[in-house]
Amino acid sequence: MLELIDLSRRFGDVVALDRVSFSVAEGEMVGFVGPNGAGKTTAMRITLGVLEPDGGGVRWRGRPVDATVRRRFGYMPEERGLYQKMRVLDQLAYFARLHGLARSDARAQALRTIEVLGVADRKGDRAETLSQGNQQRVQLAAALVHRPEVLVLDEPFSGLDPVGVDVLSGVLREQAAAGVPVVFSSHQLELVERLCESVVLIHRGRILAAGRIADLRAADARRLVRVEVAGAAASWYETLADVRVLDPLPQGAILELRGGARERDVLDAARAAGDVRHFSIVQPSLTEIFRRAVSEA
Amino acid sequence: MSEESGRGVYRIIARREFVERARDRGFIISTLLTIFVLSAFIVVNALFNRETRFELGVVGGSARATGEQVAATAKALGFTVTLRDYSTEAGATQAVRDGAVAAALVNDERVVVKSSNGPGQLVAVIQAVSNRTRAQQALAASGLSQDAIDRALNVPPLPVRALEPVDPQRTQNSAIAIVGILALYGQLFAYGYWVAAGVVEEKASRVVEVLLSTIRPSQLLRGKILGIGLLGLCQLVLIGVTGVAVSRAAGILRVPSGALLTVGVVLLWFVLGFAFYAGLFAVAGAIVPRQEDLQTSMTPLSLLIVVSFFLGLEAVQTPTSTLAAVASMLPPSAPLTMPSRMILGQAPLWQGLLSGAILIGSTALLLPLATRAYSRAVLRAGRVRVREALRAERRG
Repeated sequence: MLELIDLSRRFGDVVALDRVSFSVAEGEMVGFVGPNGAGKTTAMRITLGVLEPDGGGVRWRGRPVDATVRRRFGYMPEERGLYQKMRVLDQLAYFARLHGLARSDARAQALRTIEVLGVADRKGDRAETLSQGNQQRVQLAAALVHRPEVLVLDEPFSGLDPVGVDVLSGVLREQAAAGVPVVFSSHQLELVERLCESVVLIHRGRILAAGRIADLRAADARRLVRVEVAGAAASWYETLADVRVLDPLPQGAILELRGGARERDVLDAARAAGDVRHFSIVQPSLTEIFRRAVSEA
Repeated sequence: MSEESGRGVYRIIARREFVERARDRGFIISTLLTIFVLSAFIVVNALFNRETRFELGVVGGSARATGEQVAATAKALGFTVTLRDYSTEAGATQAVRDGAVAAALVNDERVVVKSSNGPGQLVAVIQAVSNRTRAQQALAASGLSQDAIDRALNVPPLPVRALEPVDPQRTQNSAIAIVGILALYGQLFAYGYWVAAGVVEEKASRVVEVLLSTIRPSQLLRGKILGIGLLGLCQLVLIGVTGVAVSRAAGILRVPSGALLTVGVVLLWFVLGFAFYAGLFAVAGAIVPRQEDLQTSMTPLSLLIVVSFFLGLEAVQTPTSTLAAVASMLPPSAPLTMPSRMILGQAPLWQGLLSGAILIGSTALLLPLATRAYSRAVLRAGRVRVREALRAERRG
């Protein structure tokens, strides 16, 4: 278990982290979400020892993380960093060596990792000649090349095309399946919802919510319906009593039913407005949970 | 998986610094160019400073005897005359015309040269020897005893008092010392810059964040300085060995062991000087965000090295002056002033040892400070002031 315990950190007068605690079990994949400037990057940098906390600490398998333990962690920083003039394979083998792999193992591992990530054909090229997306894959390879015990990735999906997203998702699932605790930050909440069982929600340096997404949903007692109607006037649902629009959709909306509002009344109104294409009772999405938590904070 | 201990990390870093730079085409070309320019310089120098030597053609036995005296006299005067026998005057004349010999002495009767403004030095010696021989013969013919003739002719030469003593070895050593100082200056500057540029490269590309999530800043810095310094040392060895080899082949070095000593002194002071400056260059790199800002942050170091370089040249001219003695003891200027004083043999051994000890001691004091400033500054975005970097705790 990777544990962040009571992490605190200030930058001048700004409180970046205020007693932040959460944990990631082995084999668990955790999405670390929060608005810009919430403290995600600071928490990750402290976990990797790039930054010192003012208070609190990080533990792995019950023991404080030191430089030796950290060499077995894998990290992808928010601001990507590669040696632009260095060849891809040489570069990854070098990182693997720094993480403690023997020379021959480092090279074999580097090759294997870029094969998995689909950039093996660029192994002899300098990093600067690669496209943004391919550099991103090499960056991810740098985090994976030494078979890390723990993976911490800061915005790993940003800047990837859909194929890249699929490749990365697959790799992260494999890592988690192999028992590695994986924590990554992202603003793509649909993606987090699809990949992770658990999330940690941070806002202004404090944890607002943490736990299994299913539990967070269950704790959210709101009644929501998703309705789509073809050929209706744009604002047919806005006049309904005790109904709030959460998310407008191209042909409808996700609506919250409050007080005495009933699902069947909404359906009736929808049928009156046009041809009903979709009507379902839905659970709040992660985006919805996130929005609510942040607005209530 | 085989784990390596964290202690060996700096070697992995040093290896990368060395290999990546040594493989760089620009580096290979500049090294070859340096070697080429140095060799050309030595060869050209050799052509202009060739020892004065003449070939003298002789025809007939008496001319041969005179020729031998000419050769002996010339040797005493500092140039070489070698004799070549010809059986006929026509053969000797032809040899003069062809330039095979500088002059020909025919039967002690006449000297043949190609043009009247020919080898004046040689002709003067032939005239002097011949005059003396003929005077001797004339005196003998007039009935003087051999003793009297010898007394008359063997007068001691006029004493010559030189106002400035000339040491030919000294002139050559000065040239070698200047080459050594130039090499040290160029090498300290170039490789110091590489340390700074390497630090900025890692900081600007943010790769430093990946590195420092794995290793400590002190390991990164130590490996970088070691790798770049080793490369500089290897390049210097290559240039030095080539220089000595070409000099020997061109035949301009009278004392090859002296040249080897020079190369040794330069290498030693490069190691000491680089160790002293490298940490400072690393700080100059760590406090700026981009390569373009490096020029500014390196200015104090550049000035220090340039001033030391001029002090070094001054020390070649007046190696025993107070200025040279003081400069060769101060850590920043010692690497560029003490070597020339040592090459010229103008610094007592104890001074060399003391200067080295002072430099090593100050490096030992400075490097931890530089490592500290580097560690604090390299992870901070933007420009950092040195004082802040020294004071602040490790923040991002």
